[in-house]
Amino acid sequence: MYIESLTNADALPTLAASMQFAARRHELITHNIANLSTPMFQPKDVSVRGFQENLGEAIDGRRRARMGNGGPLNMESSREVKVSAGRLSLEPEEPSGNVLFHDRNNRDLERTMQDLAENFAALRVTSELMRSRMGILSAAITLRP
Amino acid sequence: MYGALDTSVSGMVAQRVRMNTIAANLANRSTVADAQGNAAPYQRRIPIFEVGDPSAQSAEGRSSGVHVSEILLDEAPPRMVLEPNSPYADADGYVAYPNIDPMTEQVSIMEAARAYEANVAAAEATKSLVAQLVRLLG
Repeated sequence: MYIESLTNADALPTLAASMQFAARRHELITHNIANLSTPMFQPKDVSVRGFQENLGEAIDGRRRARMGNGGPLNMESSREVKVSAGRLSLEPEEPSGNVLFHDRNNRDLERTMQDLAENFAALRVTSELMRSRMGILSAAITLRP
Repeated sequence: MYGALDTSVSGMVAQRVRMNTIAANLANRSTVADAQGNAAPYQRRIPIFEVGDPSAQSAEGRSSGVHVSEILLDEAPPRMVLEPNSPYADADGYVAYPNIDPMTEQVSIMEAARAYEANVAAAEATKSLVAQLVRLLG
């Protein structure tokens, strides 16, 4: 009970969800990069905006239920992001558009590398925030700053 | 996260195989005979990539990444060059040379090098992400 209220406090569940999403998406992007020159391969991605809207709704729901920032975060599964028992899994879709090459691969190296860099930055930010949260927790536990 | 590293490594391995075949194609551009000394022009090798990595341990790992499924031999007709004094000349005095265009090979090797670099960049990103996550422990 007390442990749960510690791990569900403030922004921790939100950070955990964002980290999971970014980590899963990182795997997706590396898969797209590995298949840059595979014939017939169509890169797949998930919508970051869709995930953020979903996360925003979950945060609003949590606020309404608890009148504050505590308590568990209940995310709904969406078309691309499936949630089961607090774990996220991605079901990416093929984005339309872009030039189809002669090997029937519609790669876009620049955009893929941009996605990789952005996703990397997002994961770094969330893990830094998580780290500072954990630092505060451990300072509170040990009563040492 | 470690799965992402495997995926990038499979991409690097595949691109390396592609570079090896291109190097072999360029090195054998003027090869007119096989290892036994019979007149047989070298056939251009074409690596074929396929999604998935059969060498991975888990089912999830086998579905991500890339591998070279086979190396095809180019069946294009050879380049015939008039060399009547060559021991490999046919009845009309023509020697069959491999049909390899160095320009095509150059372009392919540049593309392979860029794709390899992209995989290296992705592997670097995964490495520092893992380091970042390990720092969470304390």
